[in-house]
Amino acid sequence: MPRSEAGPADRQRALARFLAEASGAGAVEIARIALLPGGAIQENWAIDAEFDGGRLAGAQRLVLRTDAATGVPSSLGRVEEFAVLEAAFAAGVTVPEPLFACADPAVLGKPFFVMRRVAGSALGRPITLDQGLEAARPAIAERLGRELARLQTIHPLRGGLAFLPPYDGPIGQIGEFRAYLDRHPNPRPVLEWALRWAETHLPDKLPPVLCHRDFRTGNYLLEGTQLTAILDWEFAGWGDPDEDIGWLCCKGWRFGRLDREAGGIADRAPLYRGYESESGRRLDPERHQVLGNLREHPLGGHRAATERPVSDQRRAQPIDRDHRAARHRMRTRAADAARSE
Amino acid sequence: MRDLPQSRDLLGLARELLLGELLPLLPPERARDAHLIATTMAIAAREAAGGEGWQEEITGLLNEFYGESGSLHRLATDLRNGAFETSPSRAAAARAILWRLTIEKLREGNPHFLATNGFLAGDKDG
Repeated sequence: MPRSEAGPADRQRALARFLAEASGAGAVEIARIALLPGGAIQENWAIDAEFDGGRLAGAQRLVLRTDAATGVPSSLGRVEEFAVLEAAFAAGVTVPEPLFACADPAVLGKPFFVMRRVAGSALGRPITLDQGLEAARPAIAERLGRELARLQTIHPLRGGLAFLPPYDGPIGQIGEFRAYLDRHPNPRPVLEWALRWAETHLPDKLPPVLCHRDFRTGNYLLEGTQLTAILDWEFAGWGDPDEDIGWLCCKGWRFGRLDREAGGIADRAPLYRGYESESGRRLDPERHQVLGNLREHPLGGHRAATERPVSDQRRAQPIDRDHRAARHRMRTRAADAARSE
Repeated sequence: MRDLPQSRDLLGLARELLLGELLPLLPPERARDAHLIATTMAIAAREAAGGEGWQEEITGLLNEFYGESGSLHRLATDLRNGAFETSPSRAAAARAILWRLTIEKLREGNPHFLATNGFLAGDKDG
């Protein structure tokens, strides 16, 4: 059970009461609860429960998602992530159905949300290397393109996501990235070249859309050859419609298949085909390559792109923040090398 | 002056201990961290073995490019400001330095990526 000051049995009872109340059940009996593997930033708990009446009457397989001990400051809170998941679900993106969110610390000691448990595996290497998936990979890439296009139907005017920081366009993003570089002691001329390229190759006005910001192999579930869910919405925010496609095509997410630019599963063509046919917008591969690599850089472009205002973090704990940032870069460098092997 | 084994060998031995003896004792959810630490140690070992050689070469290229004392800092600032955009030859020369820098960093940080993309250990230009 997620840790809090109460004991495991108390927390399990509190959770059962919460589930019963939220679903309108007379009672809920939790038969099994187990921590799922992975999740350095969040904990995911599998729950098997029997609902006595209410909207989930019967046996249910659920996942409870809550903060792990080692969160990163750039990620959304669980209640906010739940709202993003609801928006994606409503837009027809393939995600686990979001069920209930709880901000009350009296239940488990920290916020959490509950969603349906979906079958499948997200492990990167089997997805990119398993021979049994070979014939299906282009279709999976095409499907991912369609999923992204559906996600991008969510615009800031949609209600319910007002907590997401506003996005002021690529120029603002370039400025933020440069400010981030200016705080780093080492000059980064390659990144400067890429930022200048982005600045001098601005597309026609692109309206901000909801971006997943960690849309990649390793964050979607496959059950056999079927895409069953896109996971981990904690970095979502308003942004450039080309961001997620660039990120998916970064070399860091190819898990041993560096030759396959679309997440290690296919070349870009089926991904682009899926996206373009669903969205009606033509894609610019060169722009994706530059944007993707900017975010992928070990200095932490991904972090820079998603980080909350630095002033808040600095006020909180300057030394700890710098140490965490350095550790994050260590992990990123190592992970980048390890995923290529 | 230093005691043996020295840095590269020390890191190699520690890595061997980590992967061979400690990793099997860890709970499965921490295995990825152990692999990341092992990869970090491998990067550090390559950096220790490589010394300052390629960095000195890059400095030499920058001095040649500027015709005086150059630095990555200056190059970064100039690129941000688009300083070479009116001269195709200067822009190409600047990109050649960036390319070399990238290859040398990958050689230490991610040699597998270089190998997969057809770069041999001693290649400068791919």
